[in-house]
Amino acid sequence: MSLLELKNVKKIYHQGTINVPALKGVELNVEKGEFTTVFGPSGSGKTTLLNVIGCLDKPTEGEIYFTGDNIADLDKRYLAEIRRKNIGFVFQSYNLIPVLTAYENVEFAIRILKNISSKEIKNRVFKMLELVGLKGLENRKPNELSGGQKQRVAIARSLVKKPKLVLADEPTANLDSKTGEEVLKIMLEMNEELKTTFLFSTHDPLVMDYARRKIELKDGQITRDERREEKDVFN
Amino acid sequence: MFLIKLSLKNLMRHKRRTMITAAIIAWAIFFYITFDSFLLGMNDLVFQNIIDYEYGHVQVANSSYWEEKDELPLKNLMVNDEEINQKLTEIENYKAHAPQIDFQLRLSDGINETPVIGKGISPQETLDVLNYEDYIVEGEIFKAGERKAVIGKRLADIMKLELHDYVTLLTRTKSETFNTIDAEIGGIINTPNPTVNQNIVLLPLDVVQDTLSVDNMVTHYIVRLDDQNFDPQIVQKFNENLQVMNRNLGVYSWRDLDEVSITQAKQTGNNFILLIVLTIAAIGIINIVILAALERMEEIGMMKAMGLKEREIILSFVLESTGIGVLGGIFGCILGAISVYLFSLYGLDFAVFVDIDMSAFGVPLISKIYGAWNPDAFINMFLFAVFGSMLASILPARWAAKKDPVQAIYKR
Repeated sequence: MSLLELKNVKKIYHQGTINVPALKGVELNVEKGEFTTVFGPSGSGKTTLLNVIGCLDKPTEGEIYFTGDNIADLDKRYLAEIRRKNIGFVFQSYNLIPVLTAYENVEFAIRILKNISSKEIKNRVFKMLELVGLKGLENRKPNELSGGQKQRVAIARSLVKKPKLVLADEPTANLDSKTGEEVLKIMLEMNEELKTTFLFSTHDPLVMDYARRKIELKDGQITRDERREEKDVFN
Repeated sequence: MFLIKLSLKNLMRHKRRTMITAAIIAWAIFFYITFDSFLLGMNDLVFQNIIDYEYGHVQVANSSYWEEKDELPLKNLMVNDEEINQKLTEIENYKAHAPQIDFQLRLSDGINETPVIGKGISPQETLDVLNYEDYIVEGEIFKAGERKAVIGKRLADIMKLELHDYVTLLTRTKSETFNTIDAEIGGIINTPNPTVNQNIVLLPLDVVQDTLSVDNMVTHYIVRLDDQNFDPQIVQKFNENLQVMNRNLGVYSWRDLDEVSITQAKQTGNNFILLIVLTIAAIGIINIVILAALERMEEIGMMKAMGLKEREIILSFVLESTGIGVLGGIFGCILGAISVYLFSLYGLDFAVFVDIDMSAFGVPLISKIYGAWNPDAFINMFLFAVFGSMLASILPARWAAKKDPVQAIYKR
């Protein structure tokens, strides 16, 4: 069973009297543990696709199976519950809470889950921050961190609750190429180490080279879907 | 717990803004508490002035007389005999009592004439129930049988009368015929009660009874008790006790006076005005929550993406606003306490600020007003600040929490 399966997913935005189709019948399967990028020019529908998959938005038409259940028509409360437990997000502009430290920003994501002891939370947050290379910076607030470090906090935050899927919308767009590459490497390491499924959007060719699977989106439709062998990734 | 921590941190995110909003609430609370203290102090003084110089704690009169007492009638009077004098001593917490006749009078110095209220009093007994003795500024109180009058300082000034001057007091007897009393001014009184100072002429009871042809009758008795805040049950019980005399007598507490009701009604009106001031503080809270929601839109979007429920996001804003309310409440109560402390210690001389006779507005008051402590005002205002801030933030917080996550994240 696929982790994620999209069947004829359409999304139409209504702007006054004009209907703007953002997704035009997308068919997609994502298996557990994949490290996949969705690329394409601006306005191709990448963000819309990620929002629909991430239960932030509902499709106008079609079916979305997440771990076998169709989530396309679920009420927003159930969608929130799915996001809370199963989906992590990484945004282009980090979206960290400025009044919280790096530790607290990561802690926030796990605190909202029930039945996890404080000790467990502490261990997981410290371990996650260490994994993304932020050991020793736990008490820094976002304004005391570089762009790359902020994005690492965001990655740690998305992973700390052990989600089934992490969605990253242009995670390197606000970073210089070197830092962007570092962030991508961390994501890839997390994918390998934690077996978490990653789906991220980009339009940076350098970034998409890290993906084991590349999906091209044009005008709301998948035009290319390529897979690479693991050994090719760092070449 | 984490939401509380987040809210506390958010509270300090814009310290200046938080402090300004808390200061608005604090100011409203300070203003309310100070004003409340002023009103209570004024009420206490008004009540004290009424009790000490006009009314005593309780009055006993014929029930039919009482209904028309404002017209100062000379009918339905009561006999000043041993039985009633004995009965009056049986009231619980009894201290003293004095008979009195109130009657219509015109005071004339031969040129000018003014209407006043005549009060026939039994000097020694009246001094036991009303606090005139300390306020006789010239001369002395008359003795029984003397054709002397004691008038207020203000009345003396208006009529340009001095001690030992003679005045003619024109009145109507019980049978509606005119009669006069030629009296020497034997004393001038200057109490903190402007009504006494301006409108009253005190005369010996026996002289008045003789002039009015009312034999040994009086209009009412003034009774002084040990404690001003006596149990209202005492009045009720004594009223029942009096009925055995079968004289149609009634017992009337100072609390039942029109002036007391008017003063209390004024306080209700003032509370309404103060409520408006506090509403302005609530608008401040609504404003700050909307501002916070607008500038934290991306964070709200991220929280929703993380799976936070709407009620959790609302709670984080409500907790933050409640924190502002707590801050404002604490500061306001501290400022209020300082203000009431100073006010109760040094008082406020009303005449310095407003050179008007408050008795014209039904407030028998000319002395310094001291603030009164009212713990209820502190508790109520603190709770109002906390719950008001909490309630004021719910709607804007709901508005923020209901934002579409995609629109919030991407600031669309």
